[in-house]
Amino acid sequence: MLGFATRKLLISIVVLFFATLVAFLLVATVDPIAEQRVFLLSQPGGAEQIDRLEASLGLDKPLIERYGSWLGDLLTGNMGTSTDNGRDVTTLLGEAIPVTLRLVIAATVVSVILGVAVGVVSAVRQYGAFDNISTFFAFLFFAMPVFWLGAVLKDLGIRFNDWWGSRIFFTIGEQSPRLEADFWGTWADRAGHIMLPALTLVLIQLAATSRFQRSAMLDVLESDYIRTARAKGVPRRRIITHHALRNALLPVVSYTGLTFGTLIGGTVVTEVVFNWKGMGRLFLESLLDGDVAVTQGWLLAVGISVIVVNLLTDLTYGFLDPRVRDG
Amino acid sequence: MTGLDSSRAETPVLSVRDLEVAFPTPDGDVQAVRGVSWDVYEGEVLAIAGESGSGKSVSVMAAMGLLPATAQVSGSIAYRGRDVLAMSDKDLERLRGSSISMVFQDPMTSLNPVMAVGAQIAEGVRIHQRVNSRTARSKAVELLDLVGLPNAGQRVDSYPHELSGGMRQRAMIAMAIANDPDLLIADEPTTALDVTIQAQVIDVLERAREATGSALVIITHDLGVVARIAHRILVMYAGRAAETGMADGVFERPSHPYTAGLLGSIPRLDAPKGTRLMPIDGAPPSMLAPPPGCAFAPRCPRATPLCSQEIPELRPIGNQQSACHHGEDQYNEAEDV
Repeated sequence: MLGFATRKLLISIVVLFFATLVAFLLVATVDPIAEQRVFLLSQPGGAEQIDRLEASLGLDKPLIERYGSWLGDLLTGNMGTSTDNGRDVTTLLGEAIPVTLRLVIAATVVSVILGVAVGVVSAVRQYGAFDNISTFFAFLFFAMPVFWLGAVLKDLGIRFNDWWGSRIFFTIGEQSPRLEADFWGTWADRAGHIMLPALTLVLIQLAATSRFQRSAMLDVLESDYIRTARAKGVPRRRIITHHALRNALLPVVSYTGLTFGTLIGGTVVTEVVFNWKGMGRLFLESLLDGDVAVTQGWLLAVGISVIVVNLLTDLTYGFLDPRVRDG
Repeated sequence: MTGLDSSRAETPVLSVRDLEVAFPTPDGDVQAVRGVSWDVYEGEVLAIAGESGSGKSVSVMAAMGLLPATAQVSGSIAYRGRDVLAMSDKDLERLRGSSISMVFQDPMTSLNPVMAVGAQIAEGVRIHQRVNSRTARSKAVELLDLVGLPNAGQRVDSYPHELSGGMRQRAMIAMAIANDPDLLIADEPTTALDVTIQAQVIDVLERAREATGSALVIITHDLGVVARIAHRILVMYAGRAAETGMADGVFERPSHPYTAGLLGSIPRLDAPKGTRLMPIDGAPPSMLAPPPGCAFAPRCPRATPLCSQEIPELRPIGNQQSACHHGEDQYNEAEDV
């Protein structure tokens, strides 16, 4: 297992290097001073100013040299400053990442636990009432656009608050602005804010996860080694928990790893619907502003999270399946 | 049809009577087993032989309560006088793995890939015996040693993919005899293995049977396997018994043309030089709509109009029993050869 982990870690480091290259090159052709250029050209002495600006940003140097200095700065934790508002990119990402991670982790944990449970029960009682009902809702939520589901939940949340008489669900932001509370008060406030956006993601994720778990479980229950376990006299409940589930978790682990990585960069719609200042929002703004440094930093941060999550997925997979460990 | 060895005084370990099994499909019922009876006695090796689809596996699956829920089963299966078909799930779980246990065809897919083989053996021990995990583990090592796995002390922690096909099948046999069963059922235990390994596995099975003193039902299409260890043989065709008797007798003087055909289609060392193998022409009938008379009639060199009208019942011929209208002719001809 240790050798397997080391191997996977080394591969991750190589992939990380390529991620920096891709993050850099993807935006390298964008002109970070496009707006200033237009303005300055109409001014007397503007051409010189443009030259100075280019030199200060290193735009006069060849691409490979720019990549080298960007990478060098990166190693010291410096990702440059936003060309839009002059703020430090590391700080911007440092603010946005925890917000998005909170949402994505909460949504993933809940959807995986529920998804596995629903999938297993559906498979064990295939075509039973529970299976049919969960199948119906799985397809319903799977087919629902995120922005619409988010908006509906927001509306329901507000109606619920009115009926209840006090605010349970917050519909805007990741926490109350200018909140002054102790540690527990802060997290209680965050919990109130996270429920609806997380529920949005959970419902959509749950649909896929439970279907995956169901079909994996059905496959496994048909397999020869389950018949062997039955022939050994293993009680039905133990067959499901000890023999079938562990094997049937494998596809779900892969799927969850994949979607978790995507979610970190892909919650744009949910964040916009609920006015969260997370990674999705940061990406949208930096892209619209042509903010090269922020976009590069964002791409790299998302790249790193995908790599880390994949590493964790591989390790989990290796833990569950001895065949992968040796392979 | 209940006359199988009824002369014997002791009660059989397992007694199957008029077993019928059908599987409903959209095209109609597949009649996998159409009335079969057999007994297996203590310490005895019974071989059930026949080609794919003859119902040999299905009839033992029924005895283990391992058929899918959709299967329609009638007749009776009694384990030491207790009706297996009427047992509750709890009773079946208690029976399986302790009194009756089973070795399956493909040891690669029949072992759980994510559990060490020792853990799979120990699990069976702990389900049926009140022992702690350490005792169960050392029992697993002991069993692996018994079935001839080299370095059993280390192999106990191996995963199935780390073992060869032959070693996996040995581990399966170790698992099956973990609780000293009265009856061991081996369903095509050598079919998925290399020819060179097959003989070894049969020896291990025989040794395991002797060590536990259990009866053994071995299901096979390989008559070489039958010749090696079986005391008695039941030849099945299209869900019915074709012939049954002592293995030696059946080999020497088959009283059913199908048995004779099977024997003629395998190479024998004692056959005169230049003897040609005689394959049986044609294919087994569809079990969706089996022919009205003898199911073997369309392929049978002895078939007469009677054969395709009336199903022949099993009846004594010589020391055997044969379900053939022309059984005597077959039996007598075999003597002349």
